[in-house]
Formats: sequence, C-alpha cells, structure tokens
Amino acid sequence: MLQNVKRLKYSLLPGGFVSLLLLGFAFLLFFILFLSQESANVTQLDSRIFSLLKFTLYQAFLSTLLSVFVGITLAWSLAHQSHFKGRSLLVGLFSSSLVLPTLIVVFGLIGIYGRNGWINQLSLYVFDHSFGSYLYGLTGILVAHVYLNASFASRSLLHTFESIPKEKYKLAKSLNFTTFQRFLYVELPALKPTLFSIASTIFLLCFTSFAIVLVLGGSPSYNTLEVAIYEAVKLDFDIAMALKLALIQLGISTLLVVFSSNFRTHLTNLKTSSVTLPWVEPKPIKQIQMAIISLFALFFLTPLLAIVIDGMGADFGKIVSETLFIKSFFTSIILATISSILTVVIAVLLSDAKRNFTLKERLENAKFSRIFNIIISFSGNLYLAIPSLIMGLGFFLLSQTYEAPLVVWSTIALLTANVLMSLPFALSILAPAMQKTAQRYDKLVFSLNLTTLQRWVYCEYPYLKASLGYVLALSFCFSLGDLGIIALFGSDDFSTLPWYLYQLMGSYRTSDAAGVALILLSITLSVFIVLPKLFRSSVAKDN
Amino acid sequence: MIKILYTLLLFTVIILGNDKPTLTIYTYDAFAVSWGPGPKIKEAFEKEYDCNVKFVGMSSSIGALRKIQLEGKNTKADILLGLDTNIAQAANKTGLFAAHDLNTSSLDLPIDYTDDYFVPYDYSYVAFVYDENKLENPPLSFEALASMPEDFKIVIQDPRSSTPGLSLLLWVKEIYKDKAGAYWKKLSPHILTITKGWSEAYGLFLRGEADMVLSYTTSPAYHIIDENRTNFKSAHFKEGHYGQIEVAAMLKSSKNKDLAKKFLRFMHSETFADIIPTANWAYPVVTTKQGLPKAFETLTHPSKMILLEGKKVEAHRKEIINEWLKALER
Repeated sequence: MLQNVKRLKYSLLPGGFVSLLLLGFAFLLFFILFLSQESANVTQLDSRIFSLLKFTLYQAFLSTLLSVFVGITLAWSLAHQSHFKGRSLLVGLFSSSLVLPTLIVVFGLIGIYGRNGWINQLSLYVFDHSFGSYLYGLTGILVAHVYLNASFASRSLLHTFESIPKEKYKLAKSLNFTTFQRFLYVELPALKPTLFSIASTIFLLCFTSFAIVLVLGGSPSYNTLEVAIYEAVKLDFDIAMALKLALIQLGISTLLVVFSSNFRTHLTNLKTSSVTLPWVEPKPIKQIQMAIISLFALFFLTPLLAIVIDGMGADFGKIVSETLFIKSFFTSIILATISSILTVVIAVLLSDAKRNFTLKERLENAKFSRIFNIIISFSGNLYLAIPSLIMGLGFFLLSQTYEAPLVVWSTIALLTANVLMSLPFALSILAPAMQKTAQRYDKLVFSLNLTTLQRWVYCEYPYLKASLGYVLALSFCFSLGDLGIIALFGSDDFSTLPWYLYQLMGSYRTSDAAGVALILLSITLSVFIVLPKLFRSSVAKDN
Repeated sequence: MIKILYTLLLFTVIILGNDKPTLTIYTYDAFAVSWGPGPKIKEAFEKEYDCNVKFVGMSSSIGALRKIQLEGKNTKADILLGLDTNIAQAANKTGLFAAHDLNTSSLDLPIDYTDDYFVPYDYSYVAFVYDENKLENPPLSFEALASMPEDFKIVIQDPRSSTPGLSLLLWVKEIYKDKAGAYWKKLSPHILTITKGWSEAYGLFLRGEADMVLSYTTSPAYHIIDENRTNFKSAHFKEGHYGQIEVAAMLKSSKNKDLAKKFLRFMHSETFADIIPTANWAYPVVTTKQGLPKAFETLTHPSKMILLEGKKVEAHRKEIINEWLKALER
C-alpha cells in the first residue's frame, strides 16, 4: 500500500491540500461569524425571525414541489416524444436555465407577467381587462423558481428516463400496461434515486434564493432569511441581527446538505442518446405530451423573447459609452474568467485526489479510503450550504477588522464566492468523468510508467477536454450572472453587470436596463454554447 | 513587480499632482443623476471656488449613510447630503460627522430647526402622487386610502432605507398613535411593493405598475415644467402632511473641511436656492429675487407641516419600524 501511496503522491497531495484549504476556510468563516456575534450586542430573538424562517421554508417547499412536478411531466413528455423538430434545441435551451442569471429571468418574467407585461397588454387589447399586478409576492417567487428549477430538473430527469433499458418498456408493452401503469412500475422506480437528490438540491437552491426574492418579494412580508441578512447589513447596519440570521441559515442549510450528501446534478454535456422505442405512443397520450412540451416551451421562451425584443429598442451607443457600464462589463468578464479557471483547477485537483480512494487499482482497499473520500467530497459540496451572502458577511467583517481598500476586499470576496459556488457543480461533472478515465487507462498508464505530465498530455486531457470545457463555461456563466455577494459590496467604484442591471432596474431607466439585460443574456448564452464546442474532442465521443 | 510598483507610484503622482481639491459628496441617486440638481450645483460651486465637485449617488440617502458607515474612517466622502431631520440623529450617533458652526436660525423653514451637525438645504411635504387621467377620484385621507377597492395599488419606500418611507411611517404613527400597526395591516393589501429608494418607486409608478406612489407635494411641478403635463397631482390629505427637511453634514474624516464648510454655506446662497425648485423639485430654504416658478402656485400647499422632533424619532425609530414589519407579516 505504501508503494501505492508513493506512486500516487502527485495526485494525492495537491488535491488533499486543496481539500484541507476548503475545509479550513469554511471553519474560518464559521469562526469569524461566531466570534463577532459575541462582541456584537445581541438583539433579542424576536418573533420576526421565526416568521422569516417559516416563510423561507414554506416557499422553498412549495417551489420544490411545483418544480419537481413540472420537471417530471416535462421530462416524461420529452422522453416519449423524441422525434419532433427542434427538440434538441429545446432541450439545450432548458439546460441553459442553470446558468441564466437569475436577475435576467426576473427581468424577463416582469416583461411577460408584470402589470404592463405582454399578458396584461394582450388581455387589455382583446378583453379590455387587465389582471393588474399579481407577480409581486409569493406568486412571483414561485413562478421564477419553477422557471429556473423545473427546466433544470427536467434536464436531469430526461437523462434518467432515457437510461431506462428498452427491455423494460418492451416488457411493459407485452404486459399491456396502461400509460399510468407503465409510469408507476417502470419509470417511477428508475426515477426515485435521482428524484430525491434533485428535490433536495432544488430545495436548497430555493431556500437560499436571493435575487428573485429581492426583486419579486417586494415587501418585508415576503422576505427570506437571505434577503433579511442583506437588509440587516445594508439597510439597518445591524450586524448583530445579520449574524444571528446567518447562523440560523447556516445551521439549516448545513443540515440539508448532510441529508442530501450525495449531491448529484446528473449534468452532462454529452448528447443524450435518443432511445427509439419500437412503437409510438397512443394518440391522446401523444397529444397530452406535445401539449405539455409546448406549454412549457412557451412559458420558458417568452420571457427570453421579451428580453430580446425589449432590448432591441435600447440605445446601445448610449449604454456602452457609460463609464459605469464599461467598468462593470470589464470587472464582470475579468472576474468570471479568473474564477472559472480557478474552479476548473480546483475541481480537477479534488477529483484527481478523490479517485485514488475509489479505484481498486489504487487505494480503495486501504483502511481510511472511505473516510478520505467522504472528506474530499464534503469539502467541495460544503459550499452548497454556505450562501454567498453569508460568505460576503464574513468578508465584510474581515474588511472591518483588517483595513484595506474596500475594492481589494470586494475582489477577493467575489472571486472566492464565485469559485466556491460553482465548485459543487464542477465536481459533479468532473469527478465521474475522471473516475472513468482512470478506470480505463490506469493499468495502461502505470505499465507504461508515464510521468504525471505525460499522463495528462496523452491520456487525461484528450478524454476530459469536453468536460473541462463544459465546466469552464458553466462556472464562467455562474460567475458572470451572480447577484449575491456583490449586493453587499457593490458601489460606483466596484460594480458587475448584474449589479449594474439591478441599479438600472431600480431607477427609471427601463430601456437602458432592457439593453443591458440583452447584453448579459447574449454573453451568457453564447459562452454556454460556444465554449464547450471549442473543447469538443473526437476521442471522447463514446465517453 | 518593480515595474508595477513604479507605474502605481506614477499614477499616484499624477493624481496628487492635480492641485485642485476635490469635494466628494455622497447623496441619493435622484440628486446626482444628469437630470438632477447635482450637475448644476457642481458647475456653480466649481466656478465660484475653483475646485472639483464629485457627486456619488446611492439608491437612497440612508443607503449613502450606510456606505459611509461601511467605509468608516476611510470613506472618500467629505459631505453626506440628502438625509432628513428624522434620521439625522441616528447619523449623529455614529460619531462620524463634524459640527458646522453655521448660523441657520434665519432660514426660511415652515418649522424652526437647528442642529449642530446637519444643515437644511430644502424641504417639501410627503404626499401620494397620482395620474389624474387614470385615477379620477383619488383617496383624500388615510381612511379613504385603506378603503380603496382591492386592485388599487400603491408603491411606498422602505422606512429603513428611504427618507420618504420613514416619513410616511412617522406620519401614520403621528395620526394613529397606538393603532398605527392596525392601520398598516389594513393598508398592506394595497401595497404593491416596497422599494429601497424613491427613484425606484417613482419609476414603477411612471411605468404604470401602480395607481399611486409615495412622493412629495412638489413632484407634480416636474411634470408641469419639464414635460408640460398637468395630469400628475398630489392627493391633499385632510389629516395634514408630514414634512421633510433635507439636510447635509460634513464628515470628521474629511481632508477638505474648509471647502466642505464652504459648500454647506453655499447651500444657503441664492444660486443654490434657484436651482433647487426646478431640479430637486422642492422648496429652497432661502427666498430669492427670482422667486419660485409659476408652476409651484398650482401645487397643493399644506397649511401645516407635521414633523416630529429628531430626538423623539430616534428614541422610538426601531420600535416603530418593528411594529411596521410585524404588521406587514402574513
């Protein structure tokens, strides 16, 4: 075994070190928050905190329920309708929902469902009746959460649907199952394991939802803990209150992460092999499925269309000549570039170290393998539990103690938050891929006695290229679109595109906001589509 | 590395080499924007005192105060402009502001106000503004407002971040006393949304998202003078209107205290007072030869200004805000 450890030291040490660093940082964060709490005079735990918590959990629960339900029906429809025109484009767009900046989604939704949105305008024109403003409050929060998470869920579930062996369908057919029986006995059992992890991930995302609640919550009665933390710092400058809320939030979300310890996004950049079933669906079922797909496509595409159409009318010459726009644009691009590269490097190191403990040829049978494996996975996924705003609060407290220009602290805070936020997603894509390459080529590589560098150049990189490109694009978009920590640190001196957009939405410069929204949307979508293509490799096709 | 340091040094020299001092003023966005009073005041003051003025706009005036608190002693601000008398005491408690030793007793205010730290520069009355073409029978009292049909919506500002929002809170408190919480409960279905600052709320209203917006009796003057539209009105409430006296103060940490004091004094000049009505859409604190624009005569002018004393507000502010938060819970 010792020989094995020696041989693998270049893959064990860096990853192990990074893992320790991540754990250390999380510990430091807890420590700072905890320590500051004692020095700050503690405001009493009033009933407001309780009702905040109640609403946060309530909306997260409803959002999860709705998203999962819509996600299942959509994935079911898509799985059985594998041959209509534009299907792959549609599926591709649904999977982009993961990287769509939440603020953009909110902006698009207001364009459709707002008081002056398309629906009300159409209804005014046709029936001379306006539905008024129904978007602000719980409705808006739920609509936005379903928009983002149902498409995300459907994308992952579609994969599960499509990996159900054809034989099972054949059996179901020969047993003359109804569509419902087929779902109950064939599909549901296959979905179950995925469903749990997806539901818990969505719950966590909705529990810590920030931008959506900030804009659409619209009033203190619809606040989540996350927004309340932001308000305690930004509006009241009540650090003691913010700390208290942060610790409660942290406690609950850590619990959630422990429960959903097996965080899996089931994301792949690989095209799903469209399973061709040897028969077609009965006509009424087909109609239902097509209706579900069309309805969701309409729901999904109209807000994006609204952004494009509203954005076209903007005066781009004026927008791009604003100093603040230029500043925000470059800050965003630079930060996204750096943090996406960092994310890839850290994810590779962690996955590289992790696979040592899960492979037979390596250390799987060693005594502490299981524990090490868990520690490494935990160190990466941990940051799913730490909302960026709480990280921001930690940095904010540090910036109060250790004097440095605020811009320096802001940059560090944003970079750290962006990297750590995308890390769980990056790991969920890279770790299985790297496990696979090692499984296939370890014996060959070890027998050829390749150096670590050679191994990477000849073996790992060609096969991981596609996944790396995908992770790069994913974390770039995450970082580009995030409105979390910047809400604490944003100012005229330090601004990002989402923050700039939020400012514009808050002033009455609607047309400029529409223009900036369109710019942000175009960058996000093109990076998400183009970047993985640049990394496409011919070798990994069968991967 | 040395090259980078060298460049940095060079930059510092260039920046320091610019001998004109720069006065940095933190304020709310509507004051700093290109169509607000900021640029005009900057031009006038720069001409008179040979310096640079930089307005930095935040989403709200209390937001600007929080930014200063956040930056602490390192703040670049020399002056904070835009708080009102209600929140000035809270700002004083931070110990970040410097006394001004100006004599402000002769200012033209509807109510006597003097403070060692904060200097008034304009005032107005808080009121709900509506579009006459869309709303024919506006509510004319708080009772009428809360009894409007269910789809009647208003936009107000958050009292924790915005001075008009805080004024409304105190206005309701002054009228309803210990029944204020119950009133907010009754009003809450009509509140479309609560914004962080005035600009956002007014923007929502102009986009047609709400029927009424919390603003000032003087806001319609903007539409009359700049847009030639007379359909915007402020609803005259029979309970009287809460006043808002806007104030500015200089920071202890300022490196340009002399200049800052000159600016505070400049706020009482005729030049400044002539800019205010048609740029910040409020009443100036000194009477000028030019006088107020004609459009101001058409505005509702409350006979009495309701205004709680700053110290009293500060003593109960948290409590009143908590009452409000609780009332809005669902």
